[in-house]
Amino acid sequence: MLTKFYWMVTKDLVSEFRARQAWPAMLMLGVLVSFLFSTQLEGSAEQRSSLAGMLIWLAIYFAGVLAQHRTFAMEQEEGCWDALRMYPVDTSWIYLAKFTVNFLALAALQAVVLSLFVIFSNVPMLDHPLRILTIAGLGNLGLTSVSTLLGGVWAVNRQGPSMLAFLTLPLAIPVLLGASEATRMTLGHESGPLWWRWLGLLVVFAIVFVAAGIVLFELLIEE
Amino acid sequence: MHHQNRKKLPIHFGTGIVASLLVTALFMAMRLAPTEQSMGPVQRILYIHVSVAWSGLLGFALMGVCAMLYLFHRNLAWDQWSQAANEVGWLCSSLTLLTGSFWAHAAWGTWWTWDPRLTSSLLLWALYTGCLIVRGSIHESHLRARITSSLAILGLLDLPLVIMATRWFRGMHPVAPEMEPMMLLTLLWNLVGFSLFFGLLLTRRRRQLQAEGLLGELELEALAGRKSSLNNRVPSLFPDGGLR
Repeated sequence: MLTKFYWMVTKDLVSEFRARQAWPAMLMLGVLVSFLFSTQLEGSAEQRSSLAGMLIWLAIYFAGVLAQHRTFAMEQEEGCWDALRMYPVDTSWIYLAKFTVNFLALAALQAVVLSLFVIFSNVPMLDHPLRILTIAGLGNLGLTSVSTLLGGVWAVNRQGPSMLAFLTLPLAIPVLLGASEATRMTLGHESGPLWWRWLGLLVVFAIVFVAAGIVLFELLIEE
Repeated sequence: MHHQNRKKLPIHFGTGIVASLLVTALFMAMRLAPTEQSMGPVQRILYIHVSVAWSGLLGFALMGVCAMLYLFHRNLAWDQWSQAANEVGWLCSSLTLLTGSFWAHAAWGTWWTWDPRLTSSLLLWALYTGCLIVRGSIHESHLRARITSSLAILGLLDLPLVIMATRWFRGMHPVAPEMEPMMLLTLLWNLVGFSLFFGLLLTRRRRQLQAEGLLGELELEALAGRKSSLNNRVPSLFPDGGLR
């Protein structure tokens, strides 16, 4: 089973490497949004840190999540969707393969956005690298779980892709709030129960929505 | 004719009870409840605001539960209940935002503020609206039911996290303020009245959706030139024998 999972992930990564459809556009948008947001970060170090948390996660959301909806769209456009469904593997593994590819794409975007914020806005991101990595990882899991599942909705209903963008934000709000608050507190050298509470929210969201994605995806794409 | 009227009697009786409860509730809110000292008469909007907000949350929970039941049983009746809860809940959620805005303008001097409770109400409204829009974009009934049920369950899972996240910020929205006994009684009466009104709208809307579903099936069968297998089901839906 793991071999089939590996080949499904590899297929997506290789086809993206060859066709360069989604990742370059997503990364360029990430660079542009990060640059624009960084230019607005002025004032003292405290003021910059307090704003940077929200701006970093908005940049990641705008550039990444909307592009992640395209995961299944590419399968449809290339006529691979039916072939993928005939692949002798449990449906939840298809979801997990797409989820993994989207996670890697968002991780690449996060690396670019966080680096640009360090360079352009001089926020103390490298003072607590482990904390920032933990928040980034958990935030990535939460956002990817929502956007992959909504991408699956697009795969079975091609009439309303723009409607999904309308649903993604309210669904992703707990992740965006949790991640941006935890990032803000980390940049402001704050720690304690409140920081752990936001981290706990990210953990709960990631667990609930990854599990829901595995269960609901199977129900969504059945004939 | 007498038989048909007898069948419709419980519906009229129920509607009458709900209408009288609602009128009494509004009368209590406007006349019997004492005027609040600091805000004055505008505070009376609380009785309606809290009642529709409660009905909005109730609708969302119902929508999620019916969605789960649809996915479990694959019976379109549960999807009709889910759609009815979605539509009536959306109405209540919109009224919550509207009455809240009027109240906020009178009490705080602004139509809107990014208070946690206001934010979570807006997000609830956005989830309701998103589900309605997606529902409207799909024509095949079981596909529509599958997709919207999944979205409703996602929304139901998301809502407690949204409420938790937004309320961890500090806000100015009052949380269970102390009340005069008469104010509390009025609020409870309004909650009961509006909840029953919500239930009435829900059942009526579900009945309409059921009729729509049956008509769709009849049309398809007529197009296929087959003798309808639904003939025996239609009279039970329309006891007076006609489409009103």
